Amino acid sequence: MTKRLNARRWRSWHRWLALLVGLQMVLWGVSGAYMVLFELPFIHGNHLVKPTHQSVIAPRTAEQFAAVAQRFPRATQITLTSLWLNEQPRPVYHITRRGKTQLLDAQTLQPITLSADAISAIANRTYALGDAPLAQLTLLTENAPNEISPSLLPVWQANFADSGSTSLYFSATTGELVSKRHTYWRGFDIMWMLHIMDYDTRSDIQNNLLRAVIIGNALFMFTGVLLIIVTIFRRQAVRGRS
Amino acid sequence: MMRFLQWLHRWTSLIIGMQVMIWLITGMYFSIAGHRTLEAHQYRQQTHFHDALQSASTGTAMVPLKQLPLTANTIQSVSVRLVHGVPQYVISTERGTEYFNASTGALWHTSAELATQIAQAGYRGPGRVSHVSAVANSDELYGWQGPGYRVNFADDLATRIYVDRASGTIVDHRNRLWVFGDWAFRLHFMDYSGGRNFNHLLMVSAALFMLWFVLSGLILLGRNLVRGDLNPRQRPSYLAFFQQHEQPIASACGGGGTCGLCTVRFSASAPAPNAADKRLLSDSELAQGIRLGCQHRFDAKAKVSVVNQGAQQLNLVLQHKRQLSPSVSELTFTCADRAEPFVYQAGQFLQFKIPTANEHEPLRRNYSFAAAPSRMPNNTFMVAVRCMPAPKPGLQPGVGSSYLLGLEPGDTVVAEGPMGEFLLTDSNISQRTQVFIGGGVGVAPLRALIQSELKHTPARPIHFFYGARTPEELCYEQEFRALHAQGVVHYHSCVSEASAHAESTATEHFEPTMVHELAEQWLAHQHSNHVDVYVCGPPAMLRATLAMLDQLKVPAKHIKFDDFGI
Repeated sequence: MTKRLNARRWRSWHRWLALLVGLQMVLWGVSGAYMVLFELPFIHGNHLVKPTHQSVIAPRTAEQFAAVAQRFPRATQITLTSLWLNEQPRPVYHITRRGKTQLLDAQTLQPITLSADAISAIANRTYALGDAPLAQLTLLTENAPNEISPSLLPVWQANFADSGSTSLYFSATTGELVSKRHTYWRGFDIMWMLHIMDYDTRSDIQNNLLRAVIIGNALFMFTGVLLIIVTIFRRQAVRGRS
Repeated sequence: MMRFLQWLHRWTSLIIGMQVMIWLITGMYFSIAGHRTLEAHQYRQQTHFHDALQSASTGTAMVPLKQLPLTANTIQSVSVRLVHGVPQYVISTERGTEYFNASTGALWHTSAELATQIAQAGYRGPGRVSHVSAVANSDELYGWQGPGYRVNFADDLATRIYVDRASGTIVDHRNRLWVFGDWAFRLHFMDYSGGRNFNHLLMVSAALFMLWFVLSGLILLGRNLVRGDLNPRQRPSYLAFFQQHEQPIASACGGGGTCGLCTVRFSASAPAPNAADKRLLSDSELAQGIRLGCQHRFDAKAKVSVVNQGAQQLNLVLQHKRQLSPSVSELTFTCADRAEPFVYQAGQFLQFKIPTANEHEPLRRNYSFAAAPSRMPNNTFMVAVRCMPAPKPGLQPGVGSSYLLGLEPGDTVVAEGPMGEFLLTDSNISQRTQVFIGGGVGVAPLRALIQSELKHTPARPIHFFYGARTPEELCYEQEFRALHAQGVVHYHSCVSEASAHAESTATEHFEPTMVHELAEQWLAHQHSNHVDVYVCGPPAMLRATLAMLDQLKVPAKHIKFDDFGI
């Protein structure tokens, strides 16, 4: 008899905890399933892009590297690579000084300023899902959208009119692809927010709300385990009599 | 439906429950530890390549690319940077990335001393280097091919920093706490290889189980909210109230609003009838303030009484047990401690309280009287109990029937009654032919009704259609044959399964026939308005018979049935 009364009390606790903290368990289940079911490389948008060209530095250009590098003694890093410009791959230098990078034409060593048209051509060649329906190209210099890091500014945002509302981000100084975003990445970001219960920065896993709700749910599960044990116990008692 | 959902929720919890606990515990660990501890970056010093390439210390010129011992033919990109003060070429080719010393032109080489210096530059903790060892790779760095160096620091966390030999860069930091975090990740992602992949089959399966688990829980919680289970001031239903107060009240479905037995009467201001009330009660009953007790909640201000006032608690003693057929036994009980005779009518039933582990919540099982009161001594009753074998090996047999059949003469059991409205029509109102259709153990109340009708002189014409699975299962066969021979009851029996013993018992045709088909053959030639029909039998037989009667256009008000209280 006391066993049965206990079961009733635990059931009552189980229901109240379900109401108080169990809804977060549902959100964990849903957000967890989302993150598990969609492959991470897909979420990262690797399927959205391809290289604009096969990167090859001509031997003559490569041979000049040491000589060119010596002309920028205060640089912290110098990189020779290639960039899709004027309908062809062009060798370029990235000269990094005090954390800032400058783009130079490898032949003339003159600074290159990337126009909207140049970025548009790169974006169209980068986009990998069929004919590129580039819908909008915007230069962002001051306020970064929530989906990218502000440290990437200044940046070109290339929006595509596809089913995943793809946004590709290109550095305004070097023309390099720096971020890929699409609907499922944005969904993942929301699920992550729901999972860690940081609705503000979506990155703080050490918040007290999360900790409190975890403890609450541990109690919730504990009452569930007790109910299971009691249920099985009661069944056996009945079977023993019949 | 909800019971099934509850059952499924319970069993899913057995499958996923342990992992849910693991998710909660490891999740708590992540939340306590934080990103920095999980990555072992407590003592990490960011080392950007921030020194100018040609400072005073690196004045020497860089070696041209063509003098490098490159193994690849095509160069994809070239970088130069300082690694611990030494300019380094990073050349990416179709064969991968190669590193060279830009001052000497030689293939980059990281010595143990250089690796130690690099590690120290990337460290801001309190410890000193305690040990340096060359390693081919490491279990602690999933995906790093090596080779390189492990530089151990003597600090509180037992920090070790791994340095890649080919590039001279720090691969990552590791420490004692990182190992806990790593196991937490293995358990949380169910990827026990340490690869921290959460898109694999096991994890996907667990996630789908979890999704079902939480959604079924959510649906059940919604049901509880709708039912008001979480309302602390919720009052019991009248059915529960009367049962708790030991006041006999009939119920077969236990409060599901489907059996229509737990009728209560409101003397004034009855609540509005709900759908179950309207379905199971007549308009005149509703007008009299009669409602189903299970559908309305207790209200201290209302004046409510149980309709079936005659019901009383009886302490029964088993007197006699007789086998009627291979599966049906007839039990005769007496009620020795009563002075005045217990009054009941043919067609009614007793509700037996089958004891369970909880003495306050017995199982309630209904059994009809198998004989008319006029045929029995005072305070002696007879019921027919069918042994319900386990449907499958491993499942439990019927709890109620097993208990009753296990009783021996002299044993006691408690019952409440009489209950039920399965009564003969008043012969002053109806002179129609009385037609009884029964299946299996459903013979019990029909036998009582027929006996009761035969008490009248003259009795109305009686037809009894009786079916069972096999000839042996036809109960009271000899008795009804005798009545048939006397011409007082037209008895028609049939069996639904072909039997090996057909010739030994066959006085009629024993072609396999369903009892509703047998009755239909006869009823088809009668005027549908000139019969009163009483039906009792197992659910499938009952359904088929009611459908048949509906098709023959027998008026519903002339049909009575007893559904075994199912």
